[in-house]
Amino acid sequence: MALLVSTRHWRNGGPSDLPGVLFAALALLLVGGLNLPAQPVATKEYKIKAVFLFNFSQFVTWPTNAFPETQTPLVIGVLGEDPFGTYLDETVRGEEVDKHPLVIQHYRRAEEIKTCHILFISQSETSRLDQILPSLKGRSILTVSDAEGFAQQGGMIRFVTEKGRIRLRINPEAAKAASLTISSKLLRPAEIVAPGKD
Amino acid sequence: MRLKDAPIQRKLLVIILLTTITALLMMHGTLLIYEFLRFQRATTRQLSTVGKIIAGNSTAALAFANQSDATEILSALNAERYVTAAALYDKEGKLFSKYPANLPDDALPAAAQKDGFQSEHSYLAGCQPVMQGEKRLGTLYLRFDMGTLNREWLRISISIALAVIAVVILVAYLLSRKLQQRISEPIRALAGTAKAVYDRQDYSVRAKKFGEDEVGLLTDAFNQMLQKLEEKNTELQVTFEQLRVAHQEILGLNRDLEGRVEQRTAELKTVNKELEAFSYSVSHDLRAPLRHIDGFLELLQKKAGTALDPKCQRYVNLIAESAKEMGTLIDNLLSFSRMGRAAMCAAPVNLEQLVRDTIKELELEAAGRDIVWKIGALPEVRADQALLRQVLINLISNALKYSRTRPRTEIEIGCPPDPNGEHVVFIRDNGVGFDMKYADKLFGVFQRLHEADEFEGTGIGLANVQRIIGRHGGRTWAEGVVDAGATFYFSLPKSPSPQHETQTHFTRGRQPEGHRALARSP
Repeated sequence: MALLVSTRHWRNGGPSDLPGVLFAALALLLVGGLNLPAQPVATKEYKIKAVFLFNFSQFVTWPTNAFPETQTPLVIGVLGEDPFGTYLDETVRGEEVDKHPLVIQHYRRAEEIKTCHILFISQSETSRLDQILPSLKGRSILTVSDAEGFAQQGGMIRFVTEKGRIRLRINPEAAKAASLTISSKLLRPAEIVAPGKD
Repeated sequence: MRLKDAPIQRKLLVIILLTTITALLMMHGTLLIYEFLRFQRATTRQLSTVGKIIAGNSTAALAFANQSDATEILSALNAERYVTAAALYDKEGKLFSKYPANLPDDALPAAAQKDGFQSEHSYLAGCQPVMQGEKRLGTLYLRFDMGTLNREWLRISISIALAVIAVVILVAYLLSRKLQQRISEPIRALAGTAKAVYDRQDYSVRAKKFGEDEVGLLTDAFNQMLQKLEEKNTELQVTFEQLRVAHQEILGLNRDLEGRVEQRTAELKTVNKELEAFSYSVSHDLRAPLRHIDGFLELLQKKAGTALDPKCQRYVNLIAESAKEMGTLIDNLLSFSRMGRAAMCAAPVNLEQLVRDTIKELELEAAGRDIVWKIGALPEVRADQALLRQVLINLISNALKYSRTRPRTEIEIGCPPDPNGEHVVFIRDNGVGFDMKYADKLFGVFQRLHEADEFEGTGIGLANVQRIIGRHGGRTWAEGVVDAGATFYFSLPKSPSPQHETQTHFTRGRQPEGHRALARSP
C-alpha cells in the first residue's frame, strides 16, 4: 500500500500507469536502499501519519497573511527526530494545495521555525513541549503530535492509536486561537478536547 | 348490433366517446412518457445529489481512514428507501466502507469504477468521486433500485391517469348524451315524418324544423317536397276521378255501340242470308223455264226444221245459243252463291301438284296453241283443296283466254319467298292486259273489261276467286298494261287466322236453311 501511495504522489499518475509504477518502485528501492543507514525507514504507522499530515492541509484553512504570495509554499515542518524517513517527502512531492506547493522542512529546535503551516512535533520533543508550544503562540501553525498529553498542553491535533487504528484528538480552541479554521468534517470523526484534558 | 345499423343517436355518442377516449389516451400517453423521462432525470439528479452529500461528508473519514465514521455516514442512506447498496473506496480504489453494513463484499464491485451512473438491469448504479477541495480522496459507489421505484411510480401514475380518464369519460358521456340531441333530434324528427308519410301515405304532415343548419335546410326541402307531392296527389286524384268518369262513359257508349253493332250485324246477316237464298232460288228457279225453252227449241228444230226458211232457222239457232249461254250464266251464279255457303275444310295442299293437275285439266283449251309454261317452285299451303282448285282454274283459264291472240303464249306461275308471313302466288301472261285504272273493278261480280264477243265470259270468275281467297284470309290484286300482259296475285297466310273458321261455322250453320230454301223452290 505504501508503495502504491508513494508512486501515485510521486508520479501523479493513475493506478493503471504500469511503467510508472515499475519506475517508481525501482526509484524507491534505490533511494531507500542507499539511504538506509543515514535515514531510518518509516514504520507503517508513520506512513499513515505522513498521509494524515498531508491531508490536514485540505481540512484546515489558514488566515490570508499565512500566504503572502500565491506562490508561497505550504510548509510542513518536522521538529525533532524525523520518524517518517523519506516517506513524508514522497507523500507531498508534486502535490499542491490551492496552488501552494508543498515543502517539507526539518527543525532541530523551535527557534529555527520561520515560515511553517503544519508542524509535526516528534515524540523526541515531548519533554520540551511546555516550552515549544508557548513559543509558537500567535503564529498560525497547526501543531500536530503523537506525544502523550499534547492536546492538554495546548497542542491542536494529536494522533491517538486505538486498537491498531489511528484516531484524532483535536483541540479546536487552540486552533481558533491561532486563527486556524478546522473543517467540521475533520471534527466530525475526531475526539474533541478542551485544553487541560487528555 | 353493428354500428352501421345503430340509431344516429348511438352513433354520435359512440363517435364522441371514441374521439374523447382516443384523445385522452394519446394525451395521457404522451404525458406519461414525458413525466417518466422527467422522473428518471429527477431521480438521477436526486441520486447524484445524495451521492454528493454522502461523498462530501465522507471526505474526512476517507482522509483519516476512519472506517466506523464512514459506515455511520453511509448508514444515513437508509433514509433513501431505494438506495440498495453503497460503498466507499479509498484513493487506491480499495473497498473502504459499505452499506448496508451486512452486505456481502461480492455484492459490490471489487474495486472503484469509472465515474458516472449507468443502468444495470433495473438498477441505476455508478461511482462518483469523493473530493476535498481539488483533492480526490476516494470513490463513492451507489446502487439505486430504479425498477421498484419505476414500478411504484408507474402504478401511481396509471391509477391517477385511469381515474382521470374515467371521470372525463363519464363527464363526456353525460355531456354528449345531452348535446348530441341537438343533432340527432331534428334528424329523428325528419325520419319520423318520412316514415309517417310512407306508412300512412299522408302527404299533409310536415316535419318540425329545429334550426337553420343543414338539417334545417333538409327539413325545408322535405316539407316543400311534401307540399308538392300533396298538390300533385290532389291533382292526380282529380284527374283520376275525371278519367274514371270518362272511362265509365266510354264503357257505357261502347256497350251501347257493341249492342248496336251486334244488332246491325244480325240484321245484315239476315238480309244477306235472305239475299243469298233469294239469288240461289232465283238462279235455281230460272233453270226450269230455261230447260223448257231448250227442250221446246229442240222439238221445234226437229219438227219444223226443214219447213223453216233459212232466216227462221238462224233465229232458232240464235235462241238456242242464247239459252245455252244463259244456262252457263246460271250455273256460274249458282256456284258463286254456293261458294259463300259451302263448308271450308283446310288441309295441307301441295300447290305445285295442284297447278300441274289444273293445267292438265285445261289441256282442251290449250290444244293446238304454242304455249310456254314457266312454273317456279311452289310451297305447300294450308287451304281447302277443292276451293283452291277453283281459284287456279279461273286464273289459268283467264291467262289462256286473254293470250290466245298471241302467236306464242307465255304463262309464268311462281311464288317468290315472302317474309311477311304469307305466301304470294302470281300467274303472269303475255296477253292483252288491261288498263290499271280499272284494276279495282276486276274482281267485282259481272264486271268485264272486254266485250263478250271478243272474249267470252260471265264476269263471275274473278269475283269467285276473290271470295275464295278472302275466305282463306288472303288478298287478291292484279297488275297489267294494255296489250302487254297481266299479272294476277293472290296471297295465303302461312297460318290461317281462326276468324275464317268461325265464318265457316257460321256458313255451315246457315246451310240447312239454304237447302230448305233450295228444296222448297222447285
